[in-house]
Amino acid sequence: MIRAPLSATSVLDETSDAVALAAAPWAAVLVLTSLPWRFLQVLFIDQLLELGNNAAHYGRALGSTANAATIAFIVSLIGRAIYARAINLAAASGRRPGKEALRVPMAALATYLFTASLVAALFYATWFTIIGIPLTIIVSGLAIGTMPLNDRAGIVAPLKRIGRFAREAKTLTALTFVFLVALVVAMVNLVAAFAIGLWLVHGFGGFDVSRWEALLDFGTRRFDLLLIAGGIIAVEPFWIAANVILVRKAGAEESGEELRLWFRELVGR
Amino acid sequence: MATATTRWCVHHPQRAAFALCMTCTRTICQECATQWDGIYHCAPCLAKQRTGVVARSPVGGWLALVIVTAILLFMTARLMLWSGALIAGLF
Repeated sequence: MIRAPLSATSVLDETSDAVALAAAPWAAVLVLTSLPWRFLQVLFIDQLLELGNNAAHYGRALGSTANAATIAFIVSLIGRAIYARAINLAAASGRRPGKEALRVPMAALATYLFTASLVAALFYATWFTIIGIPLTIIVSGLAIGTMPLNDRAGIVAPLKRIGRFAREAKTLTALTFVFLVALVVAMVNLVAAFAIGLWLVHGFGGFDVSRWEALLDFGTRRFDLLLIAGGIIAVEPFWIAANVILVRKAGAEESGEELRLWFRELVGR
Repeated sequence: MATATTRWCVHHPQRAAFALCMTCTRTICQECATQWDGIYHCAPCLAKQRTGVVARSPVGGWLALVIVTAILLFMTARLMLWSGALIAGLF
């Protein structure tokens, strides 16, 4: 049920309700399918930074990591599609989605694999321009948000649909900013969780954690990369849900608050 | 926002609107609204989709989708490698 007119705050408000309904167990499916993709991304960036100027000479080794990451990317997209369907069902019915969340229509899934691959290619082609990063993040969100609407296999229709919802640029930009802040907060929480964990193990367990302190120190390259990946994994369920809700609300913008009132009128009659 | 003229079902002008068809984006009454996979559709749009599925062969769309997606995934892996090596060279 659409409850309020489209705005970043109303989207976030309805997102929290939908996530509360769909999180168990569908957020776990999303996290589990995303983990290999994020770990391989971290491994790839770590290898690149390790090699530095010599990276161009290790094309085969880096290429195999990139290929493995791309396969893991496909798996993560399937997880995203299942989660997006669960969120859509939760938002539509107001109930906890059951196993029907797994039955993602083939056309919707295949179309999403296409749009997400296109966005990923655009991301890697433009990420060094900096502005390409937020732009592709926004389009990536719209790709998953519009996935439940794709009922037929095709190339042009899903792109048109993304373009149609991209007109909500103000709300999309606001949501991207909110989730950027959420990512930073998630990373700070992860750092704190690791620090508290080490402190407890050392203080109460009496174990020597000096080696772990060096590994889990903010500023250690691998730990920093894993922190970013962990932050993204923590925020991703909310980000996907927000995009699904945004597309639902934008599609039914005219039926927002007024339809709720009409519904009240109808019930009151 | 909806205007006063859009508050009624497009197929039954005497009935108050209940939902918005996500295909044609027109307001529809409770009788016309059918929820399919959590999305409201009006009866004519559902009928159009049904006949479209029967009449049109989806093979072309599927073929194009699979080929383009495979090319894009291959390109993604290559672009990941090339742009990564480019950035790594700067450090």
